[in-house]
Amino acid sequence: MTAALSAITRFVDRRQRIFFPAPAVAVLFLIIVLPIAFNLYLTFTKWTVGLGQPQFIGFDNFVEAFGDERVWNGVRVMIYFSGASLALELGLGLLIAIYFNRAFRGSEAVQAIYIIPFAATPVAVALIWRIMLNPDIGVINYMLRSVGLPPGLWVSNEHMVIPTLVMVDVWKWTPMITLIVLAGLKSLPPDPYEAARIDGANPLQIFWYITLPLIRPVLIAALMLRSLDNLKEFDLIYTITQGGPGIASETLYLYSYNVSFGYFKAGYGSALMVVVFLVVLVFNVLMNRLRRDASAV
Amino acid sequence: MRKALKFAALAGLLCTSLISTSASAGIDWKQSQGTEIRFLMNRHPFTTYIEPKVAEFEKLTGIKVVIEAFPEDQYRNKLTIELNSGGRVDGFMIMPGQDDLYYSKAGWLQPLDAYIADPKLTDASWDPKDFFASFAKASSVNGKQIGVVINAETSLLAYRKDLFTRFKQKVPTTMKELEAVAKFFHGKEVDGKKLVGITLRGKKAAATSQWVDFLYSFGGSWTNAKGKSNFASAQDIAAFKFYGDLLRKYGPQGGTMLHWAESTSAFMEGKAAMIYDANVFKALYENPKESKVAGEVGYAVIPAGPTGLRLPHVSNWSLSISKMSAPERQKAAWLFIQWATNKENCLGALLAGVPSGRKSSWDSKEYKANDKQPDWTAATMKSFDIGQGQWNPPVINVPEIRDITGQVIVDAIEGKDVAASAKKAAALMDKKMER
Repeated sequence: MTAALSAITRFVDRRQRIFFPAPAVAVLFLIIVLPIAFNLYLTFTKWTVGLGQPQFIGFDNFVEAFGDERVWNGVRVMIYFSGASLALELGLGLLIAIYFNRAFRGSEAVQAIYIIPFAATPVAVALIWRIMLNPDIGVINYMLRSVGLPPGLWVSNEHMVIPTLVMVDVWKWTPMITLIVLAGLKSLPPDPYEAARIDGANPLQIFWYITLPLIRPVLIAALMLRSLDNLKEFDLIYTITQGGPGIASETLYLYSYNVSFGYFKAGYGSALMVVVFLVVLVFNVLMNRLRRDASAV
Repeated sequence: MRKALKFAALAGLLCTSLISTSASAGIDWKQSQGTEIRFLMNRHPFTTYIEPKVAEFEKLTGIKVVIEAFPEDQYRNKLTIELNSGGRVDGFMIMPGQDDLYYSKAGWLQPLDAYIADPKLTDASWDPKDFFASFAKASSVNGKQIGVVINAETSLLAYRKDLFTRFKQKVPTTMKELEAVAKFFHGKEVDGKKLVGITLRGKKAAATSQWVDFLYSFGGSWTNAKGKSNFASAQDIAAFKFYGDLLRKYGPQGGTMLHWAESTSAFMEGKAAMIYDANVFKALYENPKESKVAGEVGYAVIPAGPTGLRLPHVSNWSLSISKMSAPERQKAAWLFIQWATNKENCLGALLAGVPSGRKSSWDSKEYKANDKQPDWTAATMKSFDIGQGQWNPPVINVPEIRDITGQVIVDAIEGKDVAASAKKAAALMDKKMER
């Protein structure tokens, strides 16, 4: 009996590398690997949930996606929305961080108030924006009218909807960029600045030739973090417009959600998700390369 | 256990034949004694009404009824998943206009005609002719009835009686008059507020369920005789265009984002002279706590299209039996449905605010005595009589085709080239349509 027990103990001891991580690996396999593998399998099938079993159709879903106007619309909306919001968030975030990066009275209080949008729950915030943006009963048009300005249609107009959503996204997420950049600024060495000042550089030159190159890796890291969420922005857009008017604000991510959970077309929806995943992946690989180049400088 | 149940049922049947020979036309309610059935229900006012009364049914029949109710969104998911995985469901609530083709293709719907025709299973007092024909048709697939209506709805034109009297306007009976009246009121200052002529749903897929009444009244249809999309036909294009123009020219701003909640609140705020939407929203309009126009609202059937056609849709919730349940339990489920939709319960539900699909409920003294909006009742009855049960595209993938349709409505509201948009949608619909 004891002999058998010690044999088991020895067996386990010698294979600690396998046995100790095994539970964690099993859980990871179940909740991450398996769903992704199943999703990949589904991309090659035609399957409406409830109607029969998945049928293998090879690359047909991707061929269909290629000819699907809503896919191209989704890509266009995604580039427009993400390009505009990421650029604004990065630019504004940097400027505000530089502004905050000096001692002034009440700076802590101002910073605390400033990060509230970032700290608030996205869906709750989006619901409030949705009401504020309503052209009839919204407070934004009320304020515009009360100072004699013409009211806008905001998200109810197909040309205004993306700029409006970008505005909300910038309002919500710029503080996050600021926070990251501010941490980066605080950790910059003081020596180059002293040297520059002694050499008579003006503030603009200091910013351009010292701050920006030094802060670049941090900026790119902030951009990567933000783009991960931004490229698959869902809660804000879905809550405020559901992709409307028509499909004017339907990103590829939103469309794949509609296909999967509105139309229950699991195969096609999975294929679209994979396309979104590839876009995010490629963007981040590029960013990563940029960052490495920046650190190499 | 099963054997015991069968035995009990057999014994029950024997008793039936003994009694029924001596008694009148009534069926033997004890014939499925001892059976247990499980119903999945939407947490709908009808469910709230019937749940406390189930004990009466259990006492009458000896059948044990387990009701599980969930809020609508959850309910649909739960039901789809349970039916899909072959869970033990004997009966359920269904919105046939939305789900009947999908459920019937999936093989989940037991036809009821054989039960209804069998005098041993269906009591003469149940009187199938008492139901509006439009709802029996709406709850049928390929001529077979698959559900019994428990909640009956349609859409109506609601208008401000006070404004119509004050400005001496006639209630529109044709689409031309509708447009003229909308134009007349649009932009008028009343009590310091600027009115819009009419408010309608304009939000993509959500708009299709109201727009469809305009489609039908303009003589249009979802598909043509060959089963292809009919959107490119002159009638369909005219319906798209009329609806879009009406909302753009005489409706609230931002029409393309109006769901029923936005549209009804514009009307309840007193900002619109008319609204076209579900008749059951009367409860909202007439609630003085929520609505500024309570007591001032009149109701009418949809105005007639260019050829004189008035064709609103009717929609309903029905009770259905699962095809995958066992015959003995299906029989018990039918007894339950029959009891839940008898004249007494339909009337009781109507008095509790659930619109009934039975004529007798609306004609009853009890209902008429408390009817505060007889014009609403009259218009509703008229719509039930002439209504069309198919309010969604006749396909399995309803949400997808509704989105395609909604895009044309959005384009029409935005004043784009409707014919081009409709043609594009027709081609897309032909490609995506699943039957």
